[in-house]
Amino acid sequence: MMSYTNSNQDAGGLKQFVNKVGDAVGGMMGTASAATMGATNAETFVASAGAGDLYEIAAARIALQKAQRADVRTHAEMMIEHHTTSAHQLRSALRSTEVTSASPGLSVPTTPDTRRQTLLDHLAEAPADAFDDTYLDQQKLAHQETLTLLDGYGRHGDNPQLASYARGGAPMVQRHLRMIETMRG
Amino acid sequence: MSFNPLAERGIPLAKQLRSWSELNVEPYRTEDVHPYTRCRVIVMNGIEVESIMFSHQFARNTPDVELKQRLALVRRIEQQQQKAVNWLLPGEKQENAVEITIGYEQVAVDLTAWLARNEPDPYLRQCYEFGLLEDFDHLYRYANLMDLMGNGRRAREITGDYTEITPGRPTIFEHRDPRDDLRRPMTKVAAHRQSILNAMTLVSSEQQTMNYYMNFGNRPTEPLARALYLEIAEIEEQHVTHYESLLDPEQGWATNWLQHENHECWLYWSFMQTEVDPRIRAIWELHLNMEIEHLQIAARFVEESEGVDPASLIAPYDRAMTFEENKTYLRQLVEWQVDLTAWDSEFLPVDQLPEGHRYFDYQATVNRGGAPSEEVIRQHRERFGEEYRLETDGPHPVVSLREEDGGAKLGYERNMRAKHPQGAAQTIDAEPTPALAI
Repeated sequence: MMSYTNSNQDAGGLKQFVNKVGDAVGGMMGTASAATMGATNAETFVASAGAGDLYEIAAARIALQKAQRADVRTHAEMMIEHHTTSAHQLRSALRSTEVTSASPGLSVPTTPDTRRQTLLDHLAEAPADAFDDTYLDQQKLAHQETLTLLDGYGRHGDNPQLASYARGGAPMVQRHLRMIETMRG
Repeated sequence: MSFNPLAERGIPLAKQLRSWSELNVEPYRTEDVHPYTRCRVIVMNGIEVESIMFSHQFARNTPDVELKQRLALVRRIEQQQQKAVNWLLPGEKQENAVEITIGYEQVAVDLTAWLARNEPDPYLRQCYEFGLLEDFDHLYRYANLMDLMGNGRRAREITGDYTEITPGRPTIFEHRDPRDDLRRPMTKVAAHRQSILNAMTLVSSEQQTMNYYMNFGNRPTEPLARALYLEIAEIEEQHVTHYESLLDPEQGWATNWLQHENHECWLYWSFMQTEVDPRIRAIWELHLNMEIEHLQIAARFVEESEGVDPASLIAPYDRAMTFEENKTYLRQLVEWQVDLTAWDSEFLPVDQLPEGHRYFDYQATVNRGGAPSEEVIRQHRERFGEEYRLETDGPHPVVSLREEDGGAKLGYERNMRAKHPQGAAQTIDAEPTPALAI
């Protein structure tokens, strides 16, 4: 992990520090939102779960270009594959009568929300020597948020099909989180 | 008129056991059996086999001795039912393995088509249509094999004119990465009750076909026949994966038992209404009366163990599954969907797959050296100057799949050439494998 001290906080370092704090705050806000509205309401759940997959895929694509560590690159490849599957499963769920009869017109987002776009911007801006740590820090926050969302909606969600989707995805996200924690050391 | 099996009285379980002579039923005569009677026999065998294997799995996963007794008692009767049904098929001298195979594939076509047409959920309907076009192609490949094996009968003698025999989604292009056979499951809470019955029917019948090809595919001595069976057996594995992934994986064992018994009741009830052979209709009726009792035993167990009202899990039947012609529907499907493939739980035209997609790698590996499903057509053309087709309603709706066109110009082939040239060279352009001569 990088450490930030008064002596090495040049302009670039300061920006990284601010970004890191911003990511952490954004992550906390996301987790709080996932634990409340996202845990019960179909529309909020689909928006958040869909944006989460978009973020994971976009972040992993940046990581494939910038990551220094081989294990980080391998992890990024896995994120693209697994979150593509997750996005496909969500899209299929939305086409079922179980969802269309209760929530007509519900659709997955096609671009990440502002908060996640900020995370992606920070990743793109991260200097090469700090990229892996920045990515893994974001991965931890993002997966914690997703797990909170899936666990909550899986238990309390208002649509059985989407709750089933949430329970189907949660074990994978839990495994991702353990891997990320191991990689962060 | 709707039928509620929970409100009916069946035959008490203690009176259901039959003697060997009662079970050793007289087979139908192949010369005069209606093609759809054969289909009903094949389907019901698959349904009974699934029910029996489910019961065994349930018994292996519970320590409850008294429950194991209930399962064993019902299962012994299910085993007897399976014998009484499957022994309706005549022996090898009347209908050999390839002829029965044609019957299996006619089932796959007209059963899946009916279920798709009567499926209330658009996603599930898409899943059924996707599988349907693949089984439709298998019928055509096996019909050509049947001719080459030279037993004197042709596929039309098995199917009648009820089902066309012509290319669907070409078998060579059906092979895909196992992850792309997994679909989105329905839920027992929110799914339409008909959707549950439809999916269980397809799981059971495709599983039966998979098991049949797994075990009988090595019985022919001709290398091409053995090769075609093993290639299509692998697609049946894909189909079982595809259909079983639609079932609710979270329903408990007891509820699942109830669903199995309900499923059997629905199909015996359906076939009892549509069977044209009075002797076989009597078997469907007898078995329905047995199944009503099995259902009620399972229903009592659901109430006792889960505290759930079984009537909340199943619904009275208002639609009888009916074997009938689906030619117009199939022609439209082939025209609209022949180029579809799958990526995870979604379906898309193959030309929308990204370059380097795992589909192309899988294709290049399994089709290396050519595919038996292409070779069987090539050999038929070589020997007879034409393919075996039964196109009763006009030329094939997809121009590139017409016989005179002589080769597929489908999206699959275009994409294989564009996105995986090495794979195309190893598959589409491969020299026929000499070992596959018949």
